[in-house]
Amino acid sequence: MSSHSASIMSAPQRPAPRFRLHWLAYGVVGLSLLVAVFGAALLTQDPLAQNLLARNLGPSAAHWLGTDSFGRDIAARLVAGTRLTLVVAFLASLLALLGGAGLGLIGCIVGGKTRALVYAGFDIVRTMPPILLSLALMVALGVGTSSVILAVGIAFMPLFAYVARAVYEREMASGYVAAAKVIGAGPWAIACRHVLPNMLGAMLTQVAIVLPRAVTTESVLSFFGLGVAPEVPTWGRIIATSVEFAEQAPTSLLFPVLALALLTLSLAVVGDRVRMHLDPLRAERQETAHA
Amino acid sequence: MQRRTLLKAFSLAAAAGLYLPLPLSAQTAATPRRGGVLKLALLGLDTADPHRHSGSIAVQQVYVETLTSIGDDGTAKPFLAERFEVSEDGKTYTFHLRNNVRFHNGRVMTAKDVQANLERVRDKVKSGWLSGAMKMVQSMDSSDPATLRVVMSETYAPFLSLLSELWIVAPESEGWDTTIRKPIGTGPFTFGQWQPNVRFSAPAFKQYWQAGLPYLDAVEFDLRGEQDNSLSLRAGDIDVAYVRSDKIAALRGDKVDVQFLGDTAWYFLSFNNRKPRALMQDPRVRQAIALAVDKRSYMNFIGGSDALTSNQPVRPKSFYWDEAIEARDLYAKPDLDKARSLLQAAGVDPTQQTLKVISWQNDYAQVAVQMVRQLGFKIDHQALDDIGAQRALSAYDWDLAPFNSGPRADVYLRYARLLSDGPSPMLWGGIQDKELDTLIASAVASPNPTLARQRYLDAWQHVLDKLYTVGIGHASDVIGVAARVRGYRTGFTWSQNRVDGGLARTWIAA
Repeated sequence: MSSHSASIMSAPQRPAPRFRLHWLAYGVVGLSLLVAVFGAALLTQDPLAQNLLARNLGPSAAHWLGTDSFGRDIAARLVAGTRLTLVVAFLASLLALLGGAGLGLIGCIVGGKTRALVYAGFDIVRTMPPILLSLALMVALGVGTSSVILAVGIAFMPLFAYVARAVYEREMASGYVAAAKVIGAGPWAIACRHVLPNMLGAMLTQVAIVLPRAVTTESVLSFFGLGVAPEVPTWGRIIATSVEFAEQAPTSLLFPVLALALLTLSLAVVGDRVRMHLDPLRAERQETAHA
Repeated sequence: MQRRTLLKAFSLAAAAGLYLPLPLSAQTAATPRRGGVLKLALLGLDTADPHRHSGSIAVQQVYVETLTSIGDDGTAKPFLAERFEVSEDGKTYTFHLRNNVRFHNGRVMTAKDVQANLERVRDKVKSGWLSGAMKMVQSMDSSDPATLRVVMSETYAPFLSLLSELWIVAPESEGWDTTIRKPIGTGPFTFGQWQPNVRFSAPAFKQYWQAGLPYLDAVEFDLRGEQDNSLSLRAGDIDVAYVRSDKIAALRGDKVDVQFLGDTAWYFLSFNNRKPRALMQDPRVRQAIALAVDKRSYMNFIGGSDALTSNQPVRPKSFYWDEAIEARDLYAKPDLDKARSLLQAAGVDPTQQTLKVISWQNDYAQVAVQMVRQLGFKIDHQALDDIGAQRALSAYDWDLAPFNSGPRADVYLRYARLLSDGPSPMLWGGIQDKELDTLIASAVASPNPTLARQRYLDAWQHVLDKLYTVGIGHASDVIGVAARVRGYRTGFTWSQNRVDGGLARTWIAA
């Protein structure tokens, strides 16, 4: 070992300066939510209005982020798209939660062949990557916002079902459930009164993990023209429209791509923080470490 | 000699046409070079059976050929037929076949083969304008191997033009009695490997009837459909490709040649004519929508300043176009105030109405949608692929359809889909109008072009009066050709193998 490396090894351990990335992520997610809720009121330009004489313009005072190939204001479309993208992602995640966890839990409670059947179904769904499955479902369901929500929701259901099964089995093995059985509580009562409340944390964590993936999946569907109507501004649509003119108007592509990347990264960071806070095993590990 | 004097001498020589000897590469540029594989990305290939195609003709013309061919001037010219004669009454056609045409299996083509193809289209193909035309064939005589005589039951003006899309295939082709899977044609290239929607390769046919042609070893088509081919062209990955007009400047900047098809694509906005809901049955609502369309901006978006506005289905200034009808166009310029007044007079509050729009995934449909939306209507826009759009249009539960129709071999093909029993009439809203049928039928049966023109114009005036569709304009489809490609010239339609040009004469420079 060289003296240089030896000196490093022997140097006193100082805590590395920690950049609080998650605060930036909170900021981005918070700002996105604010834009989604109040953005429409702030819009000075119609996101659908076309000016065919002002196509593919760069950023200017009139158009802060430039215009697209139809002469539509990209800033206005990004703001309008934030709401639709987030609403679709939230509703799809909610559908995945209700469908995945709900069906999974019912399968676990009924048990036997029903459970095997339900989870065999989820296993089949899980064999395909969510984006591919969503694309296939969109072809079958047809275009439209509700189809997107359904397709993305179905694609992510197995993730919730597996977690539901793990939590159910963990809780069913615990002492208080055994006590409840002794006093005569049935499986449905145990599930509703004891398992469900304890499942909440794990499900919230899963939602936080799925949400950025739902945003990306929705954008991919829209990018391929399988989402909402072509003129409706979702981020995927905005990117799809701009990508063909990347050479003439690079900023029209840059800003929506940056927005999508920032939001999905931020949602992932926030999801990770939520998981850290709600994961009981992690809390136990941290306590052990501190002790 | 001083440098300035030398330059002056060169200038004078150039002005006098006394050019210096060209470099060797430039001299040989005019001499076709043999070999190489040409890569193309044009339109798709929907079936291996040439008689059952319903899509583009861009690919199959390279391996199967026809009795006639649409020349650069848009008229039908002899192709596999060396010449043809038409009787005075326009009912009897005599085709004198070339005597040196061989199928890809080496067998010489005869009149009986041609007759078998015409009969197959008549008897085995259920729909389409070709099968409709063949049903008018009263008798055929192919007793002389080099001559085919066709007698029609009535005069049918588009017959020669339509034959330019009736491909002659050897009856021994696999699947002849059902669906041809491996066509044995007479084209300069043979039917090679076909992966639907992916690629098609066609090796050269060494016994092609045009001696010395083709120059290429093979052609390969990229069949992946709607995509931006301009980057592949500029990168040299593709040699000939369909491109959008907004890519022309970038292509020319990279020395890619840009060519335009002879005939134009026609752009229009159709109403649902077969099952219009109550709102759309009011002519004032249709008029209001027509007045919302800014035809000049629309066509500028599609084809720039070269694109033409018109209320007619044929290119302005061409034979079947009429200046007077154009001058009378009530919707030549947008008038939103008048449109709103019309809606008000009709008692329609557009903010309470949702119009269902079906389109392909072309950008111009969004322009149409936004123009109509300006009136205050809510829009439910479904942008679909070709098959999806056909399915949605066939349901007739829509209101508006902005579409386009590509170059056509005959003016009749612009009108055929307006007929009550016309092939694939969805794009024009499935018109059911006996009076219009009669007008078109009389045009088709006209003994001379002048009379046919007048009758077609009468039919079109009827379409305008009823406001079945809003004619918006015309733009030429654009094809980019890489710098290394020589001898390639676009034709009147999408055909890639014609009597006066095409891939048989194309070669690749060193």
